[in-house]
Amino acid sequence: MIELKNIEKYYANKGVKSYILRHVTTSIKEGEFVSIMGPSGAGKSTLLNILGMLEDPTYGEYEFMGENITSLNERKRIELYRNHIGFVFQAYHLIDEMTVAENIEAPLLYKKIGGSERKSRVADVLDRFNMVAKKDLFPNQLSGGQQQLVGIARALVAQPSIILADEPTGNLQSAQALQIMDLFKKLNEEEGITIVQVTHSEINAGYGSRILHLLDGVIKEDVATTV
Amino acid sequence: MFRLNLKIALRNLWKNRIYTTINIGGLAIALAAFIVVVLYVTYETSYDKDLPNYDRIYLVGRSLPDSKTDYTPAPLSKLIKDSFQEVEAVGRARNTWFEFPLNTARGRVYSNKAIQLDLETAKMFEIWPDKRLIETKSMMLEMYVPSLFRKELFPNEKVSFPRLVGIGSKKAGQTVEIKGIINRSDEHSNLKFDILALGKDISFGDQDYGTNNFQTYIQVRKGTDIGALQQKIDLLYKKELIKSGVPAADPRIAGRSVIFLDPLKNLHLKPMAGTDTNNRMVIALFWLSVLIMVIACINFTNLTIVQATKRAKEVGMKKVMGAYRIDLIVQFIVEIYIQCCVAMVLGLIMTEVLLPVFNTQFNLPLSLLNGDSALLWQLPLILFVITAISGVYPAFVLSGYKPASVLKGNLQTSYKTFWLRNALLAGQFSIAVIFIVGLFIINDQLKYMRTEDTGFKTGQVVYIKNIQFYNKPKDFDQARARIIKIPGVNHVTVSSDIPDGSKPGTSIYKLSNKALSLDFLDVDFDYFETLNIKLKEGRFFSRDFYADSVNSAIINETAAARYGLVNPVGKIIRGCDMDYKIVGVIKDFKAQGFERAVEPAIYAIKNPCNNRKTKIIVNIDQNRMAAVLATLKSQWSDINKLDGEDFRYEFLDELYGRLFKKQEQLQSVFFFAAILTIFIAILGLFAFSAFTTNNRIKEISIRKILGATDLQMFKLLNVFFIWIVLIANLIAWPLVYLLARQWLAMFAYRIDMPFFPFLIAGIVSITLTLLTVTIQAGKVVKMSPVDALKYE
Repeated sequence: MIELKNIEKYYANKGVKSYILRHVTTSIKEGEFVSIMGPSGAGKSTLLNILGMLEDPTYGEYEFMGENITSLNERKRIELYRNHIGFVFQAYHLIDEMTVAENIEAPLLYKKIGGSERKSRVADVLDRFNMVAKKDLFPNQLSGGQQQLVGIARALVAQPSIILADEPTGNLQSAQALQIMDLFKKLNEEEGITIVQVTHSEINAGYGSRILHLLDGVIKEDVATTV
Repeated sequence: MFRLNLKIALRNLWKNRIYTTINIGGLAIALAAFIVVVLYVTYETSYDKDLPNYDRIYLVGRSLPDSKTDYTPAPLSKLIKDSFQEVEAVGRARNTWFEFPLNTARGRVYSNKAIQLDLETAKMFEIWPDKRLIETKSMMLEMYVPSLFRKELFPNEKVSFPRLVGIGSKKAGQTVEIKGIINRSDEHSNLKFDILALGKDISFGDQDYGTNNFQTYIQVRKGTDIGALQQKIDLLYKKELIKSGVPAADPRIAGRSVIFLDPLKNLHLKPMAGTDTNNRMVIALFWLSVLIMVIACINFTNLTIVQATKRAKEVGMKKVMGAYRIDLIVQFIVEIYIQCCVAMVLGLIMTEVLLPVFNTQFNLPLSLLNGDSALLWQLPLILFVITAISGVYPAFVLSGYKPASVLKGNLQTSYKTFWLRNALLAGQFSIAVIFIVGLFIINDQLKYMRTEDTGFKTGQVVYIKNIQFYNKPKDFDQARARIIKIPGVNHVTVSSDIPDGSKPGTSIYKLSNKALSLDFLDVDFDYFETLNIKLKEGRFFSRDFYADSVNSAIINETAAARYGLVNPVGKIIRGCDMDYKIVGVIKDFKAQGFERAVEPAIYAIKNPCNNRKTKIIVNIDQNRMAAVLATLKSQWSDINKLDGEDFRYEFLDELYGRLFKKQEQLQSVFFFAAILTIFIAILGLFAFSAFTTNNRIKEISIRKILGATDLQMFKLLNVFFIWIVLIANLIAWPLVYLLARQWLAMFAYRIDMPFFPFLIAGIVSITLTLLTVTIQAGKVVKMSPVDALKYE
C-alpha cells in the first residue's frame, strides 16, 4: 500500500542542512497496524505528515496505492484525502463551531455523498460509538476521550483505507487511552483498515502488528510485535 | 454543505460578538456616509436629466474679454433657428428677479423667480401645459403657475382656468390672468421659476444686438458636431454685430471666438458662465467618501485576519478532509459577503436617519425611497465592490494555511506586509488629525466672525421687505412719521442696500483728477444712526441742512484713504453726472461679510444713478421688539399703502448670519468627517493592536515570568503605537497648516493661525490610542503565563 524509497527531509539554514529524516525506506502493506516510535525530535511526526501528504519530502520516492505521490497534483491528492485517508490528531482538532454530528458529517460533504446516505452513515457511526445522546453537543462540552472518539468517528465515516494517527492518546488519561487503542485494534482486525500511529507509549505500540523505531531521522529498528 | 458553512459562519460571528459588532458596525457607518454622498452626487449630477433630449440641449453663451456670460441678445435665437439645419429648436428665457405677491380672495403667495420663456424653451424643458399653446397665434404672454402655488392660492377649491388673480398690492387693484397649472417642479432643474410667462416671442421682435438680456437655449439634432456648430454660430454672430455698427476691430470680438455652447448637463455644476466650485465640492466629497469607504474595508480585512488564527484549525481540518482551496475561498467570501449585506442594511437604516440632518444642513431633498432608479444598480455595485475589497484578501490568506503547520498547534501568522499596515494606520490617523485640526480652525474662525465687531449693530434692526420705491426723502416722510411714532422704535430709514452681504452697484467717482470705482448706496436720513455706524469726521446727514438731500455725500474711511485725502470734509467729488460735497467720513464697517475687505463706498440721499430705495430698516428697542412688530404688522397696509397687505420682515442679524451658512456647512461636514475618521482610525488601531498583542502573547508571558510588572508591559505594548500616531501627527500638521492657511486666505478678516487645534488633535489622538491599546492589551497582560506557555 505504501512504498517509501530513500525519503529525506531537511531544512537548509545558511547553507547548513539540518536533517529531520534520512534514508527512510520502508513499505507498509494493506491491513497492517504500524506504530512509529522514538524520542522527541526523532522525526516521527514529520514521517507521518509525509505519509499523509501534509508535507513533501525533500528527496525520495513515495508511492501510495501504486501512485507516485511526489508527482501528484493538488487535485489528485485531495481525491486521496477524500477517499482513502483518515486523520486522527493528538489535539483532536474538532471544529469548535460544529456539533458532534456535524463534525462527523463534514468529510462526507466533500465526498459529495447524498443527504439521506449521509444521515444514515452518521447515525450508524454515532450508534457504533455510543454517542447518539451527544450528537448535538459541541466539542467543548465533551471530555477529552469523548472528543477523541468523535475525531476517530470523523476519520472513519468516510470509510478510508488507512488511518494516520498522530499520538492519538497523547492528551488522554490512561483508561481513555486504552479504550481508544482497543478501538483501533478492533478496526484493524475486523474491518481490515490499515493504521499508522505515532506514539510514545510502549503499551500503545504493543497494540500494533509492527513497530518502526526512529532515532535522529533514521529507522533504527523495524520489528513485528509478538502477540 | 452551504447550509453547514452558513451555520459555522453564524456561530463564529456569534462567538466573537464584539469583533463582529465592531466589524459590521464600522463598515455600516462608513457605508451610511458613502450612501449619503452617493445620493448627493447622483442628485447634483442629474439636474434636468429626466428631459428626453437632455443630451442635446445647449445654452448659448458669450465670452467677454475678462469673463463669460450666458446673457445673449434677443435676435440671436431667430438667427440660429433660420441659419442652421442641425438645430432642432431654439428658445429664450428671461428672468425677472423681483419679488411681488399674487392674490386671490383666499390666499396669497410671493413670487421671486418669475421667468419669461419662449414656447420653444418651455417645450424643451417640458414645462408646457398643453399642445394648444404651441399653435397659438397670439403674441401675448400667458401666465402659468406651478402646482405648488395652487394649494396656497386656491385652498380647498376647485379651480378652472383661465382665472384672474390680483398682482401686487390689493389696493392697487391690478390683475393678471392665470392660464393654468404647470406640473413640473423647478427643484431639480436648471431653470428656476415660480411664475411662468409663456409666449411665442418673449422679446416682442426686439432686433437689438447691443443689449444682452436673454438666455438662449438650443436643441440640436442627433450626431451634430458641436464644435463646428459653435464656430459657425460665432462667425454669424460677429457678422451681425458688425452689421449693427460694432467696429470689426473691437477688442470684444476681434480675433477671438465669442460664442460658446454649454451642454445642459454641465449647467448646474460647472457652467462656463459661472464657477465650478460646486463641481469641485462634489468631486472632493465623493473621493473623500471613497477614501473613507476603502479605509473601512481595509480595516474590515484587518479585523478579519486578526481573528484568522481562530479559524486556522478549521481550514487545516477541512483540507485534510478533502476540501479544495477554492471551496474554502468561496466559503470565506460568502461569509464576508453576508457581513457586508448586514452592514449594508444597517448602513441604509443609518442613512435614513442621517438624511434629514444632511438635508436640512444643505437644503436638499435627498431620499432613499424617492423612486430614484440609480440606487437600484448603485447599491448592488457598492455591495459587490466592498465585498471584493474586504473579502478577497482574507479569503486567500485564510484558505492558504498549510494543514501540516496549523494542525501541529503552534501557528505563527506572519504578516509580510508589515510596513503596509504601519503606513495604513499612520495614514488613517493623519486623516483623522487633519479633520480634527480643521474642525477646530473652522470653529475658531466662525466664532471670530460671530463675535468680532463688524462696525455696525444688527441686533435690534429689522429689515422690512417692500416693493414701493422711496427715492425722494419726502416720499418716505409719511411712512416714516407713522413708524417712528410707535413706542420702542428708535430710528427708521430706507435705502437701496443694507449690510446683508450683497454687493451694491459700483460707479466711477472723480475727486481732484483721481477716478475710482466706488460702491454707491442711496440712503435716506438716519441710515447710519439706524445701523449704529460710527462717525470718523464731519457729520451724518441731517434734515437741518437743506443741501443734504440735494448734493451732500458721505464716504467711508477706505474711500478717503484710496483718494489719499487728509481732510476730506468739504471736498467735492464727482460721479453720476453731478458734483457732491463730502460732509462726513464714517468708520469702515463689514457690510459684505468677512470674505471681502471693506470696499470704498459713497453714501448719498440724492440718487441720479437711480438705484431704487426699497429696503426699509427699523431700529427697535430690544425689549419692546415683539410689541413693535405686532403694531407694525397690524398697521402695515395703512402705513405703506402701496406695498401690499403683508408685513414681511427679517431680523438683520439673521440675514447677516446667513453669510456664514457656507462655513457652517463646511463645519458640519468636518464635524461628521472628524467623527467618522477618528472612529475608523480607532477601529484600525484596535485590529492592529489586537493582532500584534496576540502575536506577542508568548513574549509577554516570558517577560512576566522574568519579572516584568503590568505597567512595564502596558508601556511595551503602547510605545510602538504612540510612535505611529506621533508620526501621523507630524505628517498631518504641515498638510493641515497649508490647507487651513489657504482656507483662511479666503477671508479678508480672519484669525491668526491658532496653535491650540494642533495640540488638541495631538492630545486627542494619543489619548485615544493609549485607551484603545491598553484596553486591548489588558486581557493579555492579565493572562496567566502558564496558559500561554503551555504546549498543547
